[in-house]
Amino acid sequence: MLDQPAAQLPVSQRTNPERSFSEEVRALRLGDGEVFRGEGILAVTKAILQSGVSYVGGYQGAPVSHLVDVLVESQDLLDELGVHLETCTNESSAAALLGASINYPMRGCVTWKSIVGTNVAADALSNLASPGVIGGALIVVGEDYGEGASVIQERTQAYALKSSVWLMDPRPSLPTMVRCTEKAFELSEATNTPVMMELRIRACHVTGEFVAKDNVPPAISRNHRLAEPAAHNYDRISHPPSTYAHEKIKVEVRQPAAERFIVEHGLNEHLPGERSDLGIIVQGGITNVLVRGLDRLEVEGKIPTLVLNVTHPLAPDQIADFCKGKRAVLVVEEGAPDYIEQAIHVLLRKRDIDTKIYGKDVLPMAGEYTAEVVTEGLLKFFAQSANDIDLSGPRERFEAARAGRTEAQRLLGGPLPLRPPGFCVGCPERPVFSAIKLLEREVGKVHISSDIGCHSFATLAPFNLGNSILGFGMSLAAAGAVAPVMQKRTISVMGDGGFWHNGLLSGVASSMFNRGDRVLVIMQNGYTSATGAQFIPNTSGNRRDGETTSDIAATLKAMGVGWLRTIRTYNVGTMLKTLREAMSTDDKGLKVIVADGECQLARQRRIRPQIAAQLKRGERVVRTRYGVDDEVCTGDHSCIRLSGCPSLVVKPSPDPLRSDPVASVNNGCVGCGLCGEVADAAVLCPSFYKADIVQNATWWDRLKWKVRSKVIGAMAGA
Amino acid sequence: MPKPITLLIGALGGDGGGVLCDWIVSAAQSRGLGVQATQIPGVAQRTGATTYYVEVMPAGAAPSSVLALNPAIGEVDIALATELLEAGRMIFNGFVTPDRTTLIASTHRVLAIGERMAMGDGSFDVGRLLRAVKERSREQILFDMDQAAEESGGVLNAVLLGALAGSGRLPIPDGAFEAAIRHAGKSVDTNLAAFAFGRGHARGELEQAVREHRKRQTAVQGVADLIERARRTYPATSLDVVEEGIRRLTAYQDRRYAALYLDRLDAIAALGSAELLREVARHLAVRMSFEDVIRVAQAKTSADRLARVRAEVRAKGHEPLEVTEHFKPGIEEIAAILPPAMARRLIDWGRRTGRLGKTYFSMHVRTTTILGFARLRLVAGLRWWRPRTSRYVEEQAEIERWLGQIRAAAPLGLDLAREIAESARLIKGYGDTHKRGLDNYRRIGDEVIAPALAGRMTPRAAADAVANARVAALADPEGESLAKTLAAIAAAAPRMPQAAE
Repeated sequence: MLDQPAAQLPVSQRTNPERSFSEEVRALRLGDGEVFRGEGILAVTKAILQSGVSYVGGYQGAPVSHLVDVLVESQDLLDELGVHLETCTNESSAAALLGASINYPMRGCVTWKSIVGTNVAADALSNLASPGVIGGALIVVGEDYGEGASVIQERTQAYALKSSVWLMDPRPSLPTMVRCTEKAFELSEATNTPVMMELRIRACHVTGEFVAKDNVPPAISRNHRLAEPAAHNYDRISHPPSTYAHEKIKVEVRQPAAERFIVEHGLNEHLPGERSDLGIIVQGGITNVLVRGLDRLEVEGKIPTLVLNVTHPLAPDQIADFCKGKRAVLVVEEGAPDYIEQAIHVLLRKRDIDTKIYGKDVLPMAGEYTAEVVTEGLLKFFAQSANDIDLSGPRERFEAARAGRTEAQRLLGGPLPLRPPGFCVGCPERPVFSAIKLLEREVGKVHISSDIGCHSFATLAPFNLGNSILGFGMSLAAAGAVAPVMQKRTISVMGDGGFWHNGLLSGVASSMFNRGDRVLVIMQNGYTSATGAQFIPNTSGNRRDGETTSDIAATLKAMGVGWLRTIRTYNVGTMLKTLREAMSTDDKGLKVIVADGECQLARQRRIRPQIAAQLKRGERVVRTRYGVDDEVCTGDHSCIRLSGCPSLVVKPSPDPLRSDPVASVNNGCVGCGLCGEVADAAVLCPSFYKADIVQNATWWDRLKWKVRSKVIGAMAGA
Repeated sequence: MPKPITLLIGALGGDGGGVLCDWIVSAAQSRGLGVQATQIPGVAQRTGATTYYVEVMPAGAAPSSVLALNPAIGEVDIALATELLEAGRMIFNGFVTPDRTTLIASTHRVLAIGERMAMGDGSFDVGRLLRAVKERSREQILFDMDQAAEESGGVLNAVLLGALAGSGRLPIPDGAFEAAIRHAGKSVDTNLAAFAFGRGHARGELEQAVREHRKRQTAVQGVADLIERARRTYPATSLDVVEEGIRRLTAYQDRRYAALYLDRLDAIAALGSAELLREVARHLAVRMSFEDVIRVAQAKTSADRLARVRAEVRAKGHEPLEVTEHFKPGIEEIAAILPPAMARRLIDWGRRTGRLGKTYFSMHVRTTTILGFARLRLVAGLRWWRPRTSRYVEEQAEIERWLGQIRAAAPLGLDLAREIAESARLIKGYGDTHKRGLDNYRRIGDEVIAPALAGRMTPRAAADAVANARVAALADPEGESLAKTLAAIAAAAPRMPQAAE
């Protein structure tokens, strides 16, 4: 075992690293008439405060993490307004938070990443939608779809339809997003129905400006508490027979009310155009792509367009009126199935309107509607419906751009190397997978059940470890039927974020209850690191105080886990030994290894300013980093295949007789020591060295150094 | 309607693309220009690639109500890339076009994981990237921004911003960009310095210092006569390699050993191909200076090593340094320096007791302490003993076999001889790596080279087969590609009619 980096905090003392949202926090305080500048998701956050919410909650996930993150930093403002903030442990808990608006006339907003978060929240969501709300309830979902998405590609629309929850999909322009947010609360109250608002990745991060309004302190709040609970009303309970009544009210009362509200308040937008025989109906969120596509075909401003900032419910009269008298209407609806297009077909058919509807026949059924995809769809639409428009020029340019791309790809000669996301420099999770790779050298391939979190990067190069991902905190449960049919034990990997989100009950409790003979590795780094290092129950405290809420090992012991080891992850040798033992012990129960190592990103954020301050004060600081002797390295790169550290790179061999590039450690090295550990544990080669550089050396350091370099210099020269 | 100027930025996680985007937006806003930016940050990890997209309305235009959030192929005016492969990716995806796009990119490479984990040289062909860059964009501003950042003491994204300002493609004066850097308020001085560097490069006011990758020659005295001998006998095209071989082997062992090197080469030179001689000279020098513990100790205690380490880890001035070496010799490494008979007994014992490949001695030696250095120096001093070691005897036999194959192949075809020479490249590394490489080398020797020399393949086909097998052996450490390739070679080789007797 090698020397380990100092200054790692025990998990109970890990606190949220310094992340500064000071600029964003200031923006949330803007008042009437001031101009807000910033990203879409922050604009929505501001609009929530302008709407007089009593409470906000959520579970982090791209692209909507910032909503809660910024509010966490805005505690003063929230205290002034009396807004309660709940940093929930999963989306289910966030959805349940909205239960407050069932009985009390207070507005609330929760947020999560969809589709996965909506799946987790589904039970509470159904039970919320059935009785309905009297205070406005808004759910801001990050529609993680298309380029940059990290989850399965499904539509939130399905939930809106099945639960009778209204769904907004605002045009990605800040004033529109802000107006939709404010109107969402009104719509919710006017129809006693929760409203979801989906924001795609680019919409969350789009920059822009709008004229702000004052924040509104809620009437019922932490600062203005209620003396009495609501009177008992069985109608508000989602149990029979109320549920039978709810089902009818949803379609007979609430939906017609919503349809009226949408039209009366002008939530959907009409973009005028001179071609009265043609039209386009588009989801609000796709509008910009569509408009640019029309511009490219030189027909921008010519085709009447109905922008659906609300995609459920549709306002039937509005759709019918728009289509009436037109020869052809194109529906631009991203994702499958084509719910909106189908609904429009049915609606027109029932009213005997014979406008031809185009949609998924000229546009693809699945996949992101990028500029290229929409332009191609428009070309097809116009070719079939309006061949009087001369598109030969634009078509030629479009085809030329495509031919140019083919030529570029020919020049480059095949696909470019991919850059899959990987573990950060010095990540404490990487050594665990190095150890698993070494374990596989001994025992052969093992079934590995992976999970959501940074550790899922192990499914990519260079580790390529993992057989399935079944959802957040699901890795142990997902091995439930694999383990019993496997000669070797299965290994499930889970993060501490996943453990608290779901893994504790779905995984550990179920495995214990069913006497599962499996191995579980819990990555305990102290944060939900993949989403921006948010607090979790085993972090030191939450955003309010420094007390640790819950300890993982203690929790597992209380649940009766007998075989439990907590290992520092960087010790690859020890980790390997422990894994070997877990795989071979006679203990037939659940075997849990808590792989402990502080998130290196968090650690670096924490210690960098400390070290800078120490150096400035002239204190002695030892900087540790690793290196490769380029004269000893022969360029096989086994070390890279077993670690993949971004700071472990290759460089041309300095040897005039060798052509293969040699390994090299670049200046990003944080001195975690894994490369040396792996070289040691895997018996790779003697190329690695550790260098401790003494900054602000004492006289003793300097004297020692002087004497040593003299003597060593003499010996080397000899 | 006036059209927006479109910018696409390709960057690696951690390159500061988001900050770059903020600077551009802030500078445009300060000039009253309509501007919109968006990004695909994805997971914030280090190794992923990501893009940012910005639209800026030209001066005097009313801010358009609808700016696009997605780049469109053939409709990008300015493409910025923090790294060369990412520039290539934007070209590959059709966003950079010769009729429209100004490409501003750093020429340095940060190798992707697939390129780094290759068993040999897996890096993407830079020549192809540069050709695509030149042919597929309207104009280019290319320089090593990583190095410019280092020279300026700043960060790459500020250099890129400077290059954008220097390109003059946006209706935004330098002062507005500088104000944006100041307004952001972080590392203002270094960012402004980097900005100025980038702008200077873009305007051709600064020369790019070329980053050198100098090859290191072995320093050794008293081999002038051997070098003279080589110069007398060998063609000039092979001399740089042969001379380095002489120096290396003298430092590695002694003058006699270097003379043996020349003796061996004489037989190859007699085959009459200067090209073959050069290749064999290169591989032979590497093979003869095989990596045993003595050689590692020599390297770790060589005179210029400490200075090299200091430079590599950026130890400043007189900052004291502690260097710890990691060694983990096993039974095989110990046997390697014993005489053959003893070595055999030790290995047999190791095998019998199951300790072979299991028992290792983990040692951490601090070469910056007097005792630590002296210990390694002692091992390095075992050089005189080396010719008596089992490893030495084995290596010489292997080398002779290899030279024999080359000599036998040359009359059949020089290509085949060259490929046999080149197959020595598979033998490298230590421990398991070395064993795997040697096994692959021997398999190719048995299953491809031997049948080829026996005349069971045409020399042309044999040369191809050896080359294919070598590439396959370097494709994956598990040896799957090699097994497949060898099977294919065996299947393809025509069965020569065997003599009846």
